[in-house]
Amino acid sequence: MYNLYLKIASRYLLKNKLYSFINILGLSVGIASFVLIMMYVANERNYDKFNGSENIYRVYMDYMVGNSFSPGDAQSYNLSGPTLKKEFPEIEEYVRFFHLQKAALIKENEIFENNKGAITDASFFNVFDYPLIKGDVKNVLKAPNTIVLQENLAKKIFGKEDPIGRTLSVFWKGETKVTVTGILKDIPSNTHLKNNFLISFETLKTSKAIPGQYEPNWSQNNFFTYIKIDKKADVNALQSKIKESNFEDDVDERHNIESLESIHLNSNKPYEAEANGSESRVKFLLAIAFIILILSWLNYVNLATTKSLERAKEIGIRKVSGAQRPQLIFQSLLESIILNSIAIALATLVVVFILPFFNSYTGKELILTSSVAVGLLPYLGFIFLGTILSGLYPAIVLSGYSPAVALKGKVRASFGGLNIRKGLIITQFFATIVLLVGTIVVAKQIKFLENQPIGADLDQVVAFNWEVLNKREDSLLKIDSELFESELRKLPYVKDVVSAKTYPGGGYDNLSSTVGITYPNGTVDENRIFYTYNVSPNYFNLLDMEFVAGSSFLETATRSSNKIVINEKMARHMQISNLEDAVNKTVKLWGEDWVISGVIKDYHHFGLKTAIEPILIRHHEDKNNLLVKFDKSVTSVAGFGTVLKDIENIWDNAHTQNVFSYAFLDKEFQAQYSEDKNFGSAFLIFTILTILIASMGLFGLTSYTVVQRRKEIGVRKVNGANIINILAALNKDFVKWIALAFVIAVPISWFTMLKWLEGFAYRTTISWWVFAVAGCTALVIALLTVSWQSLKAALANPVDALKDE
Amino acid sequence: MLLELNNIYKWVQSGGQKIFLLKDINLKVEEGEFISIMGPSGSGKSTLLNIIGMLDVFNEGEYHFLEDSVHSLKEKHRSNLYKQYIGFVFQAYHLLDELTVYENLEMPLLYKKYSSAERKALVADMLDKFNIVGKQKLFPSQLSGGQQQLVGIARALISSPKLILADEPTGNLNSKQGEEIMEIFKELNKDGVTIIQVTHSEKNATYGSRTLNLLDGRKV
Repeated sequence: MYNLYLKIASRYLLKNKLYSFINILGLSVGIASFVLIMMYVANERNYDKFNGSENIYRVYMDYMVGNSFSPGDAQSYNLSGPTLKKEFPEIEEYVRFFHLQKAALIKENEIFENNKGAITDASFFNVFDYPLIKGDVKNVLKAPNTIVLQENLAKKIFGKEDPIGRTLSVFWKGETKVTVTGILKDIPSNTHLKNNFLISFETLKTSKAIPGQYEPNWSQNNFFTYIKIDKKADVNALQSKIKESNFEDDVDERHNIESLESIHLNSNKPYEAEANGSESRVKFLLAIAFIILILSWLNYVNLATTKSLERAKEIGIRKVSGAQRPQLIFQSLLESIILNSIAIALATLVVVFILPFFNSYTGKELILTSSVAVGLLPYLGFIFLGTILSGLYPAIVLSGYSPAVALKGKVRASFGGLNIRKGLIITQFFATIVLLVGTIVVAKQIKFLENQPIGADLDQVVAFNWEVLNKREDSLLKIDSELFESELRKLPYVKDVVSAKTYPGGGYDNLSSTVGITYPNGTVDENRIFYTYNVSPNYFNLLDMEFVAGSSFLETATRSSNKIVINEKMARHMQISNLEDAVNKTVKLWGEDWVISGVIKDYHHFGLKTAIEPILIRHHEDKNNLLVKFDKSVTSVAGFGTVLKDIENIWDNAHTQNVFSYAFLDKEFQAQYSEDKNFGSAFLIFTILTILIASMGLFGLTSYTVVQRRKEIGVRKVNGANIINILAALNKDFVKWIALAFVIAVPISWFTMLKWLEGFAYRTTISWWVFAVAGCTALVIALLTVSWQSLKAALANPVDALKDE
Repeated sequence: MLLELNNIYKWVQSGGQKIFLLKDINLKVEEGEFISIMGPSGSGKSTLLNIIGMLDVFNEGEYHFLEDSVHSLKEKHRSNLYKQYIGFVFQAYHLLDELTVYENLEMPLLYKKYSSAERKALVADMLDKFNIVGKQKLFPSQLSGGQQQLVGIARALISSPKLILADEPTGNLNSKQGEEIMEIFKELNKDGVTIIQVTHSEKNATYGSRTLNLLDGRKV
């Protein structure tokens, strides 16, 4: 019997190739999208999860803003960890990280650039459950100037040689010599602490490159601190105690803790170790995954029910031959299971094939390992349940036909059945329109962010990273850099050169945040955070920043002075109403007097996702970045490739050992929106998939209506209707349904996207045309799909339709 | 006696009025009879056949089939009854397109709990009896109309029903094919199978032992 079922099912599927193709394609698209998104979501949700991770918390700083505390800094003081451990017995262990971003490692004369690492306590291994492949856990990070390398970095540097006992130079603001004492097993990429190497904390004691970080102090918070709490301890009580304590004797800040596992999706503080993910985005994707999967099932239900009309005769024959209803239901279910199994197999292939593209698109490293597959098993159960449910409805419809009616070919779907199918189509187009609106709004917002004037001209400006790896004395290094700068100025296409600690779009790197300033009117502000960095006088000119009062600093022999430039926001904090009044006024900062030489118009330092912050720019030549402005008329002809090659040669001549790294300022500024762009492209992909699925559903329904209305079409034609009349008659209903879907979709999508836009300090408007475009797109797609079938029906010979009766 | 219909009425409601499809039909059928039902289009022939075959229900009257009172049976028992005793032959053959001749014949047996060996034997018997052994691996679309109807009759006979109901079995066939099919019915009837056929053709009606004429749902 089962053999027969299988035989019929497979022959039926082979015979109706278009139907099977649409069905299987729709289902596999749905399942593949679902699986991909689930893998992505699982990866995001498993950040920083390992044995014991649930007991680990990060210590961060809350700052007083206005009258309440808000998260101000993801980093804490070097005293924070030891003090907390001493004060609270429930804290078993602490570990601190001083992050070294973009460090260069040198073995003899070989340079390995762009490594992320940290200086950390030996207690690292007591807190983080990361195993060593080589070395003694108890001793590896104890001695000064020792380093532990991650397996992949060790392989890159030493190949097959044994790294233990070898020496390396680590360059980060200068040279630090270290000896390899251990190899760390590669840690999974889904951690917010992506450290390729770890250097012992004791190294800081003698380090010339990184001075002033070793001595215990409550003044510099440059450490990520993690604590391990006793399993049985009351975390909430501990948190309150920590918040109430005031070790550093400063009422405007306090310590706070957050769970390690929650950091990636829930923390977005200044000075994070890396740009984190977002819980709401994960939820959004999750919702889309389920919508797509369910839509593809609805599609299946729709197509199968539609097709069942054509199979009414078969059901009649079977019933007359003695089939019971359960047997018929079972057979129908079997078919849906076969279809779904093929779809699942195809979806698996699609996932394996698409994963590399998906990874490069999302910047993830997802792989379909057996453990990932095991993690997906519950979803497979869900998929299977959906399969059964989606197979059940057509099965029940199909098996319910009365044989006498079915055999005459006079089966009409009941009014209710038609309503269900209508509902399915409306649901699908509702989802399509919502996603279309979403896609358009996300694209519009990104375009808005990119095109909004930021108050500085970053075009044709390249920042060269000032990290020189010579083993020469500082004074000589300075001569080198001056030589390089003057060489650069000689190039015909270089308009200007200026040194700056950071620049718009440079993020929090090299930017100091400070609290505590005395305003010109004598008010002491100990509450509000402001940001500050150092530049040379020409900085404002090079970036075309506009002065609303005063002007830039004057160059001095020492290349620094006590002059500052502030932005409008800072001036407002100082309660200066007429900005001209600010010029030449004095503020007190860090115990020194600073004279305001000018006020610049507010510019966007952090991109348009956040509001403008008060900024204070000091006059001091800092060699972190050398900003070079190029002549567009030359670079647009010659191209940046040759220009950069020239500069690299000059650079190499100036410095025997170096890292040549540069960034285009405009691109770096735009890169702040890359997460949103990825989100936008993900949105676009899923919208296209939804449209595809919805069109398939519509295609199915049209074929159904057309079959149902064959006679009507025949009668109309015999009575003189032309093809246009027929098409209009057939398409009228679909237009009505899409209009209904549109009416439901508009408020919902409007509300959802308004919520999404709230995540941006500067946002675009959701114009009426967004909805018009989404609605028209849906309509056009629907009409194209429908007309393929309608046209066939309209062109058919009416005699064929009428002779049946 | 095989079956008996007493005062059968069937109607449908249309615009607040009853439209009678069958009015006061009385019919007794003995085992071994060959009855032809005749009448113009819309006279209720097919409706009557469907009621006899228990595929359709009636509004009033009594229907006794062997020992059972069909009018008081639940749907499930009714369908068990027809599955056991009645075979259907249709004007449009109604073979399953996805199945071969062999599989079409085997299909009713699958629903009736025959063992695999029994099924093989019964199908082989039928193929033999109707001389279609050579066609057993073909699909219906590969057969002529007459051959398809042969398979249709074979399928109706395969689980040895007491009664064959044939709704214009030769309606889609040319006269030569039609004659062959009628000869087969005659043979079957000789072997003791009761047959009730609906037909338009006077000539075909003469194969039967008696004729029931219907007009506007009434016996005339």
